[in-house]
Amino acid sequence: MASATPTASNAAPPARRTGLLRRFSGSEHAVGWAFVTPATVLIAVFGLLPILWSLLLSFQKSDLLTPETPFVGLDNYKQIPGDATFRLAIEHTIVYTVLFVPATMIVGLLIAAALNRKVRGISIYRTAAYVTMAVSTINEAIIFMWLFEPSFGVVNAVLNGLGLPQGQWLSSPGQALYVIVAMTVWGWTGFAVVIYLAALQGVPKELQEAAAIDGAKPFTIFRTITFPLLSPATLFLAVWLSINALQLFDEVYLTTRGGPLHSTTVVVYYLFDQAFQQFNAGYAAALAYVLFLVILVITFIQFRVGNRFVHYNR
Amino acid sequence: MWRSGRGALAVLVAALLLAVAGCGGGGSSSGKTQITVWEGYTDVEGNAFKKLANEFDASHKGIDVKILETNNDYALQKVLTAVRGGTPPDVAYLYGSWAPNVAKIPSVVDLTSTVKTKAVNWNDFYSGERAVATVNNKVIGMPALVDNLAIVYNKVLFQKAGVAPPTPQWTWDDFRSAAQKLTDAATKQFGTSYPADASEDSVWHWEAMLWEAGGQILNSDNTKAAFDSPAGLKAMTTLKQMAVDDKSVYVDTTNSKYMDLFNAGKIGMLVTGPWDLSSVQVPYGVQIMPAYPGSSAGHQSIAGPDNWVVFNNGSARVAAAKTFVTWLTAAPQVKEFSLATGDLPTRISVGTDPSVIKQMNDKLPGLKVYIHNLSNVKQARPQVPVYPKISEALGNAIVGVLLGKLSPQDALTQASDATNQALSSGS
Repeated sequence: MASATPTASNAAPPARRTGLLRRFSGSEHAVGWAFVTPATVLIAVFGLLPILWSLLLSFQKSDLLTPETPFVGLDNYKQIPGDATFRLAIEHTIVYTVLFVPATMIVGLLIAAALNRKVRGISIYRTAAYVTMAVSTINEAIIFMWLFEPSFGVVNAVLNGLGLPQGQWLSSPGQALYVIVAMTVWGWTGFAVVIYLAALQGVPKELQEAAAIDGAKPFTIFRTITFPLLSPATLFLAVWLSINALQLFDEVYLTTRGGPLHSTTVVVYYLFDQAFQQFNAGYAAALAYVLFLVILVITFIQFRVGNRFVHYNR
Repeated sequence: MWRSGRGALAVLVAALLLAVAGCGGGGSSSGKTQITVWEGYTDVEGNAFKKLANEFDASHKGIDVKILETNNDYALQKVLTAVRGGTPPDVAYLYGSWAPNVAKIPSVVDLTSTVKTKAVNWNDFYSGERAVATVNNKVIGMPALVDNLAIVYNKVLFQKAGVAPPTPQWTWDDFRSAAQKLTDAATKQFGTSYPADASEDSVWHWEAMLWEAGGQILNSDNTKAAFDSPAGLKAMTTLKQMAVDDKSVYVDTTNSKYMDLFNAGKIGMLVTGPWDLSSVQVPYGVQIMPAYPGSSAGHQSIAGPDNWVVFNNGSARVAAAKTFVTWLTAAPQVKEFSLATGDLPTRISVGTDPSVIKQMNDKLPGLKVYIHNLSNVKQARPQVPVYPKISEALGNAIVGVLLGKLSPQDALTQASDATNQALSSGS
């Protein structure tokens, strides 16, 4: 240690600089940055910049066509409360999220529990459960449009066969949103299955065995041991699916285009319509920021509430 | 995330491609002026267009045409991005319904003086095309495509039901009663279909009926809605009677199924355009749209012309782009393209050429009717920037009536209020 000090003080400034450089280039820091830089630049250019740009846009009157984009202060935001269609869009988005998130998680958990065992050909079943994630949204949309076709679709044919009343589905303002819920639950179940399956395999066997020896029934074990240990996965899914549900767009765009009679107009579809069909880009940007704040608040609440019951198995 | 992440990746790739395309476009190295043309032709049309572009390159040594395929539906969004980035294409294929908004883009080249030249022979284009290319007396594009609506019917179903096929003298009452006879709830067969996704496709079908009933969309100075009129009520009531009272209409709320069902023999008649003919797989006939009895407006149709729009990238490229679109839309090229693709001729001189009509109709039976029907296009949609709003209001009114949720009069009142509000606020 003592000998190190004279060496350092004897060294000339240039040598020290190269020493520093060498130390930096040889460190994990440099390697880390080298790996991260390309992605960071891409995210900054294609993610961060547009986010800031659209904040600016939300204070301007812009039709995307003319170069004049005068600042209008909070005018775009003030317009929001009086917009009846936007209010409808919020209602639809809430109804959709409240149905879609729990449904996907419940179906996902049931399937994951069924797949969490050693039987012949289990990998085939697991792949089958995940396959819905590999189907592109447009194929999914076309399939569901035909399944729920009122006159010729399979769903009504089955209901008819069972003697149950048939629906008008995507042609009915009262039912279209529920068809979209069904469609997206189907599409996202594979995702929930994978997350729950991974979490299920992390549940220690000893605990379950100990409980079984103590005479607990399988359902009690699941309810009191397995499910609490799955809580990190549950919280993650609740947050993740909610964020995606609030941003629903693809399925609506591909099937109903917000109809019939605005019954499936959700927030993101409405702001797309405002920006690119009606050329009110400034207003659409303001809507996007309102949505952003709503998602932020909901996610914050989910984490706060979630942390109370989430059990991290450390 | 994996799903939306995939979307984000696609957007990213598209953005990069766009940037690359922007960098590569234009310039005049090696003495040639290179111009970039954005168009959305695919398959047969794509090949025919490439062939034309090659012919142009061969006959115009100083100009090099570079083609970039872009989906027509998203062309305006992409053009706007490129305009913002300072690298617009030199020529782009843009839908006619966008024209009033396209006219607001500063880098769009005013072609008014160009179309006055003898080489263009502007009055040889159908009047509907000229109307859509002109915004506030300024010509913003050259006609790229024209079509119109007519009846396409399944001959077998008509024969089975014992209904006489449509005639050029048909009224909407004849259409309604035929649709009723072709409807059979037991076999789930419908007389006709209507695109009911509340898009412009829903709207323009009805606008043709409105005109036939003697009505107008807006008043003469485009300041107020004029469709809430006896004529409008007549056209709306026709839809209600067929869809709600007779249940003879397959209401295609996602606007995606009518052709499959028509081919499956489940729909007797469609009111549709020539682009659908090549998809028909059943014995079919084509007839012009019915008229309203007692209306002096007679048989009409509606055209959805699209435009070639030129953008300003410096005088050399503008001159080259003008040369290209003038050549492309000249009679010999219009003829060549129509014969190769079956797209209706955009010029009267070609559309009235008996040999062209015969050749096209031999290739795709029924085209003859569509070509003749171009002269039934007597009016154009109003050229106002708020037209998308008007279209949306009318779209929801029409779907409301078709689904039995709105009475024809309530639907008209609602749409009229929304239209007047849009026109007065200007946004």
